[in-house]
Amino acid sequence: MSVHLILKSLLRRKVVTALLLLQLAVTLGLVVNSLLLASAAKELVDQPTGLALEQILTVRVKPTSASMRVEPALSEVINRQLAAIRLIPGVEAAEYANQTPLRQGGSSSNLFETDRQDQSNIDAVPYYNTGSQIFQVLGTRLIAGRQLTELDKGTQNIVLTEKLAKQLFAEQNPVGKSTNQGTVVGVVSDFYSQRYATDQSYGAINFMPMARAEMGYQLMVRVAAGQSEAVRQQLTDVIRNAEPEMDIDTVMRMDENRDEVFRSEIGLATLLAVLSGLMLLVAMISAYSHAHFHALQMQKEVGIKRALGASKARVLLDVLSESWLTTAIGAGFGILVCYGLNISLAKVISIPAVPVWLPLLTLVLLLLCVTLATWYPARIATRISPATATKTL
Amino acid sequence: MEALLHNLKLSWFSIKRAPLPYALTLLILSLGLGTFFSNATLYYWMNRDPLPEKSASLFMVRLNSTPGDCTDCFDPPRVMSYMDMQKMSGSGIPSAEAAMFSSEAYAKTVENQQATPSHVNLRATQRDFFKLFNVPFLHGETWPDNNARMEVVISKNTALKFFSRTDVVGQEMLIDDQLYKVIGVLSDWAMLPRLYDVNGRRSAEPAEDIYIPLETAYDLAIQSNTQNSFFDVDWDGDVKTYPQMARTNFVNQLQFWVQLDSPEKVTQYQQFLKNLVADEKAAGRHTRPESNKLDNILDVQKAMRATNEQLDAFALVASLFLLVCVVNASHLSLNRYMANQYEFSLRRALGASRLQLQSQILADVLLSSVLAFAAALLFAQLGLWTINSLLPSTRALAGWDWQMLGVMALFVLLISYLVTLYPALKTSFSPLNQQLKQ
Amino acid sequence: MIKINNLSKIFRTDLIETHALRQINLQVNEGEFAALTGPSGSGKSTLLNVLGTLESFDQGDYLLDGRSVKGLSDRELSALRNEKIGFIFQGFNLIKDFSLFDNIELPLRYRGFSAAERKRRVEHALETVGLAARRDYHPSQLSGGQQQRVAIARAIAGEPRILLADEPTGNLDSLMARQVMELLEKINQQGCTILMVTHDPDQARRANRHIQIVDGQLNDATLYEPLGYEPLTAAGA
Repeated sequence: MSVHLILKSLLRRKVVTALLLLQLAVTLGLVVNSLLLASAAKELVDQPTGLALEQILTVRVKPTSASMRVEPALSEVINRQLAAIRLIPGVEAAEYANQTPLRQGGSSSNLFETDRQDQSNIDAVPYYNTGSQIFQVLGTRLIAGRQLTELDKGTQNIVLTEKLAKQLFAEQNPVGKSTNQGTVVGVVSDFYSQRYATDQSYGAINFMPMARAEMGYQLMVRVAAGQSEAVRQQLTDVIRNAEPEMDIDTVMRMDENRDEVFRSEIGLATLLAVLSGLMLLVAMISAYSHAHFHALQMQKEVGIKRALGASKARVLLDVLSESWLTTAIGAGFGILVCYGLNISLAKVISIPAVPVWLPLLTLVLLLLCVTLATWYPARIATRISPATATKTL
Repeated sequence: MEALLHNLKLSWFSIKRAPLPYALTLLILSLGLGTFFSNATLYYWMNRDPLPEKSASLFMVRLNSTPGDCTDCFDPPRVMSYMDMQKMSGSGIPSAEAAMFSSEAYAKTVENQQATPSHVNLRATQRDFFKLFNVPFLHGETWPDNNARMEVVISKNTALKFFSRTDVVGQEMLIDDQLYKVIGVLSDWAMLPRLYDVNGRRSAEPAEDIYIPLETAYDLAIQSNTQNSFFDVDWDGDVKTYPQMARTNFVNQLQFWVQLDSPEKVTQYQQFLKNLVADEKAAGRHTRPESNKLDNILDVQKAMRATNEQLDAFALVASLFLLVCVVNASHLSLNRYMANQYEFSLRRALGASRLQLQSQILADVLLSSVLAFAAALLFAQLGLWTINSLLPSTRALAGWDWQMLGVMALFVLLISYLVTLYPALKTSFSPLNQQLKQ
Repeated sequence: MIKINNLSKIFRTDLIETHALRQINLQVNEGEFAALTGPSGSGKSTLLNVLGTLESFDQGDYLLDGRSVKGLSDRELSALRNEKIGFIFQGFNLIKDFSLFDNIELPLRYRGFSAAERKRRVEHALETVGLAARRDYHPSQLSGGQQQRVAIARAIAGEPRILLADEPTGNLDSLMARQVMELLEKINQQGCTILMVTHDPDQARRANRHIQIVDGQLNDATLYEPLGYEPLTAAGA
């Protein structure tokens, strides 16, 4: 049937049509924004971290006895634990640190070049109090200068991540520069450090002792490829055997830490994806019942059309094209809804702007769903006998 | 009554005649309502007033006293130093005041020293804490003053966990190897949302297990596990010097609450803070611009940016989804009524008045409401379960009380009526002869 | 034009078989105006449906315009109906959402005519039935007689070889019935074959052939001499 005839018959059923269009419009708006959030969350999760996510295990531990949380007992315990961990087959390196990269919360400090505090100050730079295997565990590359060694233990020498060094010293050679946290002796490649630091790739590594472990400390283990599960299974027992008075958290692989950091984004995106699925389901039910009801109510009309020479294929096309047209019009309004919703959501959470192609893609998806849902009732309509036309009800 | 039963029977027959359209209408309606309810539940628990009898008089204080001369820093830090707390304490204006922070430790009983100590959550605070937030005592009472003392107040569950009974006043406990005496046991108590400490978005967390005096916490170098900010602190890291250092430097970890019983007291307290800052500035301290914050307990989540944005965003979307479902259901129900139109007209032709038809519609609404309510609760449970597993921070917010169930039932009734209203009017008031002729 | 040989139609339910049409032989020639009468349940509607290819049949053969309709696909049957047959129903069967123009245009759309051609034909058909001025009206705005004239316009717009009319005046009062009859006769005179089911013996007499059906069998095919009709103006005055 022609577009203007469908439009005419839609206009004669104003309320039903308005309800249908409203619903389609909101559905499109929601699905578009959900897809947008889902893709943003995926991008966040999939961003490069500079870390071999599947080869690093982390576990937070804390001595249950207060006396073991201060030196010299603390270092002694840590060394015992690390020695035991390094003996596990499949472990390539192990180190402690006050915090691990890619985790919610943590410790950071401001950092500036000693003579240029005002110009060079950076508010929040995560700092790592750790030991010599840290570079091996994280898998960082040396960019300039040297890495820290056992000899740097207890000194004020620090290693910076590349992006941080660039920010502080621009094109100058950072090696030998003096900062409020110590003298720079080297620069290593960037890794995802802390989400809410001034920059996520900023990090300053030193070999100063932790002084005390009131918040506990982290043990980080680099495992050979494919060995993470085998090592994970033994890790807790090995740590407990090394020192029983120890509160040991769940062992996390680095990618699990990452998922935890982006949990609320992933959670919301998943939630909205589920809701979008429900929306599409509702749209399909709606299209189905509308077409079904139509086929029943319009028996006579379909019969007349058949008598006047409309073939079954024609009737099928008629029912489908009405669905398509309403979906397209609804989706047209839906584009407004989708921008409106995008603006409203942006006031509450961070959500990217709507790219032009996304509503179109969603329209195609919607059309597909509607076609699928209309198919069966449309088939029923084609079964209406043309003889219906001659029956008087 | 007999008429209602008759009408309900007719409703049931009309459902049985075409069960699929009815089931679909119901499915859509309860999907929308269920989603909406699951979100509304979380939203309600997250945003309710946990202390309606005194929330108007509770305020959290923040001062912009961080060192450094930043002229455009107007956002005071979330936590304050011991020095600031001391300057504010004892003004005499609030009827109760307490500083506090949260921490954690490992505890065991004296009798059972060989046992592995259990992890406990601590709140280091002052004597007025329990008065401020109406915390009920089961046994014993709060500390007599704000001085350091090796005495703790514990929650009922903690008493049961460590001593297997509640009346344990006078018993001793080892907390992080230190010996304390229990002087009070609280009744079952929780504040949801936990507005007295929302820093770090922890407003959905349970109340603490053990309360220790703030001064004792400083003496023993117990630190906040939420937020510790050091500003211009020069410390060698030696635990022995910590108590002195933490009390005299900008080691910020405290939240400070006051109870101000009247608007005059509030004004008075604001003036007091103003004067305090003026004195500080005169003494060459408080170098940042004055920006005192006195936030009411109900505004504190917003002020501390501790609202759950994910829930807010989902609330928006869930409301839209409800709208779609309601629109959809009324569309379906219109179809259903139009399919029944002939019967309606026939009954009117047989002498049923419009009133009688309206009561038939009401019976329809009633039946739909009951079914939709049951299904919506089911979907809401599913929804809560999904949200809880995706956003674990919402886990404490998933319960229903009778009052909420009542409101939800009324809401379902209203929505069912809305969904049925237009179709019912359309069918029962359109011209009679036209319909019978068709 | 129409030729059927030994045509039978049986309605089956689980328990009984009803022979709606038994071994019917019938020939309708080009240019005829044939009336089909019979008591209720005699099978006249069924016969009309079968002739109009609205229903299938079980035995025998049916040639429409020299072509057997047996074994044609739905698409071919639809095209056949659309091109060769014009229907006029007792209940008018206009589509109430459509304007008169849209109603008449509908079968032409199925035929695939261009918009201009459709417009030309619709306007011509409307003129023939005397409703050209109301092309944008909706059926509900018209009297029964006018509606039936629209239905006739719809039937003739495609220039069919045969018009099948199912009690075209059954829902009309006598004056309107007369107008419709005159219109049909006019169309017949212009060369269109018409087969009309009717209750009314007067109308049957006005046709130039009268076919009776009883119990699914053609009883007799009596041929009447065509009667002249009195002009409406005379009767109405």
